[in-house]
Amino acid sequence: MAAPHAWRAARVTPLGELNAPPRMTAVALRLAVQVVLVWSLWRGLYAQTGTTAGLSRDQAVTYAVLAVLASRLRELDQYAGRDTVLQHMHFGTIVYWYLRPLPPQRYYALRAAGEQLYGLAWALTGYVICLAAGVVEPPRSAAVTGVFVLSMLLGQWVLYYVMLVLDQLCFWTVRNTAAMLILLFAQNLLSGVYAPLWFFPDWFLTMSAFLPFQATLSVPLSLYVGRIPLSDAAFQLSVQAAWVVLLALFTRLLWRRAARRVISQGG
Amino acid sequence: MSVKALRIIWRVTALNFRAQMEYRTEFLLMIAIGAIWQVSVIVFATVLLSRFAGMGGWDSSDVLLIPATRMLAHGLFVLFLGRMHWAGRQIQEGRVDIYLMRPMPVHRQIQLAFFPTNAIGDLTVAAGLMVGALSRSDLDWTAGRITYLIAAVLGGMLLEAALFTVVASASLRFPAADYWGRWLEELLGTFGSYPLNVLPKAVGGLLTYGLPLAFVAYFPAAVLTGHGHTTGVPYWLAAASPLLGLLAYLGSRLLWRWSLGYYSGVNG
Repeated sequence: MAAPHAWRAARVTPLGELNAPPRMTAVALRLAVQVVLVWSLWRGLYAQTGTTAGLSRDQAVTYAVLAVLASRLRELDQYAGRDTVLQHMHFGTIVYWYLRPLPPQRYYALRAAGEQLYGLAWALTGYVICLAAGVVEPPRSAAVTGVFVLSMLLGQWVLYYVMLVLDQLCFWTVRNTAAMLILLFAQNLLSGVYAPLWFFPDWFLTMSAFLPFQATLSVPLSLYVGRIPLSDAAFQLSVQAAWVVLLALFTRLLWRRAARRVISQGG
Repeated sequence: MSVKALRIIWRVTALNFRAQMEYRTEFLLMIAIGAIWQVSVIVFATVLLSRFAGMGGWDSSDVLLIPATRMLAHGLFVLFLGRMHWAGRQIQEGRVDIYLMRPMPVHRQIQLAFFPTNAIGDLTVAAGLMVGALSRSDLDWTAGRITYLIAAVLGGMLLEAALFTVVASASLRFPAADYWGRWLEELLGTFGSYPLNVLPKAVGGLLTYGLPLAFVAYFPAAVLTGHGHTTGVPYWLAAASPLLGLLAYLGSRLLWRWSLGYYSGVNG
């Protein structure tokens, strides 16, 4: 496919955001306040405690702040743009995805890539500011930086597939807002957005080890703060890569089966 | 409100409930999502309380009273006034234009848009947490304390409703302001359940005077558990939280009415 066409599909969501200044202002303010609040909360919690669950105060603060920044990577208001799969299924407009010269799976992937790149701009800006202000610790070595970048990339790739599975679910269920919310909640809880997974009980850690969610965020951030040592990095990266392959095959199958279920309005 | 209006509200609510029941699995999942969302607060609070030695000088049974009050207030808000949270969406979809054509107040029509099934899950977990918090509490639960706790829950409900009504009022002029509502929900969920004195003074001040989150559950719980003098605000102000919730809600309804007067719709 020609690059200009790909560019047009990828920039849809970022352009929608850039055309809504109040939302941009809200994003900047929300990110700043959330970082300050999370930073304050974890510092306050560690006021009378030393290292807990293998995390020192600075590690925990860095982890929590980076989790806030990383959550910006795929948090765009597609609902306002009427372009979620759920909405298309409700309104019967999903059929247009199948009438274009661009295959729906490619359109979906390009939209997601554009979103994630746009989110990355926000997250990186926030990271540079936090680093300069001393809110987060810098990576401990060049090797850690390299492994973290690779792990984050794989994590975002896994996250893309997790979100895709959620969207693909809409092809099979007429009303599934609740199921989507439950899975989104599971994603946030089991990836360590609410709190680093290290603080949770052992049974919780064992359970999440068998699910793809911790590969999206917990692994890259734990590598960054040093909670997962570099010696374990190869194993963790290979687990993330395995999830990418597994979910890629699974979602490919789902796309094929979903196409058979699409009917234009009226049957 | 007349008897006729109440009868209409009841009939529309009953119809909405039946509509929700049409998709049984979705109905049950909606109850589950309300419960799961609240359980997340309990999990997070439990993890923090077990890993760290108390929070801000409060012992764990006192801390539990904060999320219990907040969650109960939130559950009641979702049940009775929670559609204000979705007003932004309805404004974006142009539904307010339809509401303006009908002989019923727009605010009431927004509240009657659908039945909040998730409130059943919210309230079940919240009631369970409140029972747990009260049974672990060493306080002497006199009639005065119980009355104050009930007033605090109702005040918290009204304060949350007031905050979302302000956002909805802004959404009438700037539909993108709806984004602030989601942020507000996140803030209430994450920082409305802990003793705010664990935060630096400036941040605690922001969540007291900037965004009056502290009045929802933290201040009432502080007054009940004897921490009322360590909140950083005058004792009388912390104690007046339920009243402030009522005043804030009445103020927000005036703001809504004023904003609706200036609503011009998508077609001008």
